[in-house]
Amino acid sequence: MKAITANRLIDGEVVFWKSGQWIERFAEAEHFADDDAAGPAAVETARGQSTVVVDPYLIDIVEAAGGWAPVSYRERLRALGPTNEPTHGKQAEGGAGVEALLAATGAARSTGRVDLIRRK
Amino acid sequence: MYRYDAIDKEFLADRANEFREQVGRRLSGALTEDQFKPLRLMNGLYLQLHAYMLRVAIPYGSLDSRQMRRLAHIARTWDKGYGHFTTRQNIQFNWIKLGQSPDILDQLAEVDLHAIQTSGNCIRNTTADPFAGATAEEIDDPRVWSELIRQWSTLHPEFSFLPRKFKIAVTAAAKDRTAARVHDIGLVLRRNRDGELGFEVIVGGGQGRTPYVGPTIREHLPAGRLLSYLEAVLRVYNRHGRRDNIYKARIKILVAALGRDEFARQVEEEWSKLESALADAPDTELARIRGAFAPLNFETLPATSAAFDAAKAGDPAFARFARNNVKPHKKSGYAIVEISLKAHHATPGDASADQMDVVADLAGRFSLDDIRVTHEQNLVLPHVKLDDLPTVFAALQAAGLATPNIGLISDIIACPGLDYCALANARAIPIAQSIAQRFEDADRAELIGELKIKISGCINACGHHHVGNIGILGVDKKGEEFYQLSLGGSGQEDASLAKILGPGMTAEQVPDAIEALVDTYLAIREGEERFLDTVRRVGFAPFKEAVYADAH
Repeated sequence: MKAITANRLIDGEVVFWKSGQWIERFAEAEHFADDDAAGPAAVETARGQSTVVVDPYLIDIVEAAGGWAPVSYRERLRALGPTNEPTHGKQAEGGAGVEALLAATGAARSTGRVDLIRRK
Repeated sequence: MYRYDAIDKEFLADRANEFREQVGRRLSGALTEDQFKPLRLMNGLYLQLHAYMLRVAIPYGSLDSRQMRRLAHIARTWDKGYGHFTTRQNIQFNWIKLGQSPDILDQLAEVDLHAIQTSGNCIRNTTADPFAGATAEEIDDPRVWSELIRQWSTLHPEFSFLPRKFKIAVTAAAKDRTAARVHDIGLVLRRNRDGELGFEVIVGGGQGRTPYVGPTIREHLPAGRLLSYLEAVLRVYNRHGRRDNIYKARIKILVAALGRDEFARQVEEEWSKLESALADAPDTELARIRGAFAPLNFETLPATSAAFDAAKAGDPAFARFARNNVKPHKKSGYAIVEISLKAHHATPGDASADQMDVVADLAGRFSLDDIRVTHEQNLVLPHVKLDDLPTVFAALQAAGLATPNIGLISDIIACPGLDYCALANARAIPIAQSIAQRFEDADRAELIGELKIKISGCINACGHHHVGNIGILGVDKKGEEFYQLSLGGSGQEDASLAKILGPGMTAEQVPDAIEALVDTYLAIREGEERFLDTVRRVGFAPFKEAVYADAH
């Protein structure tokens, strides 16, 4: 499965796509099947929102024991906040969604970013 | 300290206004991100993993208490109450909002600070010996020359779009506290046999993915010819630097490709075309700058202090602080105090807003209003009376700033790593913390002595791992953090590059590996040998055996 993430222009906050809206919690992000054309289409739409977000892209996500989480460590860190300051960033809010991200382990690719290398 | 004049102040205010307008145009959609990104980077504003990061220039790492208080105010008001001091003697704020960044630049401009040339392919903040003007070791005051370079390089039209970023360090002491030999240009002030002041010019050092210790291209450049010579070096680089490949664009690649002799020849040829009267700073201007750094109002004091001696005798914690964090001053009765930003559980280089205020207060009361940032991510009160040391220590202790570990194993350089940085592959901060906590025993740390560990979260080497006695590089191995150890590096006057010890390891294995290296060193060191000396004498074999024994 995949989700869409970006940084919000005005403050840099990590945000996720949900039915045309940008939300701050990964747990509420919309999921797209790997072969669902709606995912890339939504990224295209998001790219048009250049006064709202910077650099939207798809990430791989997996369902782990505690719930859904990004495949890559980097993306989990973006969805949580810095590990050296547990009270900073999204992780400060706590809750099941944050617990699921904290419990997730392993990774399948270096960035989890699907289109990091853009081939023309 | 150098003070901005009315023209400087007006310029900074204009620049902040210009940025406010640019941000407004970006938010309205008049500028695309591709158009805006170079503009924000010219003002030190990066987009990192969780937020924007603002890097503020601290010229040659020198601040007064008013400026430090303003940094604290910014940390408190627009960030999460802390800032991160960097290896370029700058400060970074990690949680900045784009919409608020113009207000921050206004606040900075009010106290003669800014974020100009803290990013981009230009001449970055020139670093200098943090003990400048305080150490008896120096031939001359490197701040004079650093300030001259700052004025010359700021918005220099010819050198604002170089092939890649460009970093200069200036030192005037035999003991190098600037890592001059791993800079694009390292300048070491010396006197020749006739007593004339000049620079040893080192060009083409650097770290990153292709590290080099820079060669000396001129042994003794007459000091007054500095700017024309820098111009010649930059011109050769600007003309022939590899703009086609970002990984080969630094001057070190050009110097290595041409060879030291050919590069030096081209610089000399270019230099011969420059007219000194036009390209070098007039003596009057140099004298004006020098006047700003004139010796402060030091009191005439005895070389010893009863209060200092009594505190050392009566308080072992103070005595330990004095052994490790207090350095000799050129003036009798004074000392240089290094403030460690490496408490064992803290993030290396971080200071809270409250801590910044404490340092500002102490500088105002006890250090002639002078504060320095070191490239090893610590702070310095350069001019403290011996009599005042117990009071200063007590205030630092109360603020969590009295960790007595300068130059010791837990005084670790670490880049922000994957906790913050968009470029990182692995975290650096937790690795530093795990090592610092493993070696929290202060007696043992002193027994081990000087040992410089430097950690980078990616190949760009912001954490200086190439010049660590023990260097640690975070890599990404199939999406997991892995760490590669290297040994034998030094960024000091005896500069050398560390070499990889063996296969990488997980984060959990790193403290054990460091422990194995340290135990090996303690078992085989001879006399006063530092860790680095032992590695150089015996080579890697016993260290490799100790770290990887279980794997055999």
